[in-house]
Amino acid sequence: MIELTDLHKQFKTKTGPVAAVSGVGFTARDGAITGLLGPNGAGKTTTLRMLYTLMKPDKGSVRVDGRDAYAEAEAVRRSLGVLPDARGVYKRLTARENITYFGRLHGMDEAAIRRNTDRLVDALQMADFIDRRTEGFSQGQRTKTAIARALVHDPKNVILDEPTNGLDVMTTRGLREFLLRLKGEGRCVILSSHIMQEVGALCDHIVVIAKGRVTAQGSPDELRAQTGESNLEDAFVKAIGSEEGLQA
Amino acid sequence: MSAFKTLATVMLKELAEIFRDRKIIINGLLLSPLLFPILILGMGALAENRAKTQLESELKLPIIGADIAPNLVAFLATQNITAEAAPEDPDALIRTQEKDVILRIAPDFAEDWRASRAATVEIVHDSSRQDSQIPVRRVERALQSYSRQAGAIRLIARGIDPSLGTAVSVTYRDLATPEARRGMLLAFLPYLLILTAFLGGAYLVMDATAGERERQSLEPLLATPAGRGAIMSGKIAAACAFGMIGLLLTLLSFKLSFAFVDSGPFKGVDVSMLAVGKLLLVLLPMVLIGTTLLTLISASVKTLKEAQSYMAFLMLLPILPTIILLVNPVKNALWMFATPFLAQNQLILMVLRQETITAQQWGVYLAAGFGLGALLWLVAARLYHREQLAISA
Repeated sequence: MIELTDLHKQFKTKTGPVAAVSGVGFTARDGAITGLLGPNGAGKTTTLRMLYTLMKPDKGSVRVDGRDAYAEAEAVRRSLGVLPDARGVYKRLTARENITYFGRLHGMDEAAIRRNTDRLVDALQMADFIDRRTEGFSQGQRTKTAIARALVHDPKNVILDEPTNGLDVMTTRGLREFLLRLKGEGRCVILSSHIMQEVGALCDHIVVIAKGRVTAQGSPDELRAQTGESNLEDAFVKAIGSEEGLQA
Repeated sequence: MSAFKTLATVMLKELAEIFRDRKIIINGLLLSPLLFPILILGMGALAENRAKTQLESELKLPIIGADIAPNLVAFLATQNITAEAAPEDPDALIRTQEKDVILRIAPDFAEDWRASRAATVEIVHDSSRQDSQIPVRRVERALQSYSRQAGAIRLIARGIDPSLGTAVSVTYRDLATPEARRGMLLAFLPYLLILTAFLGGAYLVMDATAGERERQSLEPLLATPAGRGAIMSGKIAAACAFGMIGLLLTLLSFKLSFAFVDSGPFKGVDVSMLAVGKLLLVLLPMVLIGTTLLTLISASVKTLKEAQSYMAFLMLLPILPTIILLVNPVKNALWMFATPFLAQNQLILMVLRQETITAQQWGVYLAAGFGLGALLWLVAARLYHREQLAISA
């Protein structure tokens, strides 16, 4: 379980301070998919970066399975599987070597790495490119490699920043099934997206973020009730306040 | 997981990655071991060849007023300097570099000669031209020797012992060992070696931090539980290993090429395995200083290109002591062994001249070298812990 309480983060820029996140809080349950929905630039990536301990919030707290993300950063990172916005895989290494490298950095032994890699290769349908160097991989192959790399240590909590970004329809479908499988295994899954349909179809709990703030949250039914719209897409648009930066 | 295991994992991955890039291996590891011997042996052969031809071959000297001093011209001919017809405009010939040196005999030469006054000859030359130095010196020497001979004859003719004119007789005893004399010829060698040590791992270390950041693989890497200090140390260790392999290959190629020289100034230079070992030890702190400094730079810039823009400046650093020593030569003092670049320069020369390096000098050197490396490591590690480092774009 992951609990975010009243997160604030401000960046210094040449034109003065910019508040990227000003008051984001929600709870993500185990065995459920929590979706962060918001237009580009709403503060989703910054929120996730604070969640996976790469950024320190100016205010507020992050607790992962009861542990404070800053007091016990290393233990928290160990329990997280993170697909950041930056997908960079090592071009001169094969997909398997990319995954193995991260397994070793998590302190796993070779047998466990092999076992978990085989499982992920199966689940993500990577068999035909797992032993190829990632140079020249398609976007989908790169994303799958990055996801397998993030999950090699079998983490209880899974954080995915725009996981379906740039993927074709078939790959997206496969990935959604994979995410539902993670949920079925009792994991706590958090994903961000600017695609309304995806969040609507996949998530048990939806957090709508706009301009660094949570404007609405709840299950799809609750969101419809809150906004008084019978259509989920209309509910999203109403919660965000505009259609800008969203995708059906 | 232990920091050491992280370090080893990162180091192995960085090395595996770089050894898969054939072009980088050829440029970074093989090119300089191939190039330096060609440079050294080629330069030795060229210098020797030029000195030989200019010193021993016939020197054609245009003489203005040759008919005024036929005896002088005849004497020059015995020194293998043959007279050429006088040119119209001698100054122009020197300026256009058509002639290296021209001799002008003053019109009143014969008159002064007969009156036993100092007769004037003028050497026309351009002192800023390197390649005319040897011919000018040859003409000078021949003229001085003619002047001494004629002077001595004049003194004898007047019943005076010519040696009376020499109050002090100066002789020289050169105690430079043959190795040391060769060491002078090898003065450029320290720069090449220091540069190889300092920047040999540059590509790897810049790519491993600034490049990874640019290719967006640093964020996922830093989101793992592995410690940032250990990750950075692994990258530094890989670059150091790569740099040391490059140095070892370069030194071995020096050793081999010196063994094959059969003439010229480098004939008989013996780079023993002990000397190779000592040179590696001298250069090890330099490799560490170079890679930690580059890591520090790479961690503070946004792109690989920005990191690379420091290279031109960094390449000049190792040449500074050579320039300072050229302008202001100083005796070896202990403080020099604590000064980066200067210390390496002096120690490499000492190893090549087969001089003894005392335990105290080694101690000061290694402590200062590794100390600076450790300091740079600490600063780089601080930069590695900055929040912005992981965030690309």
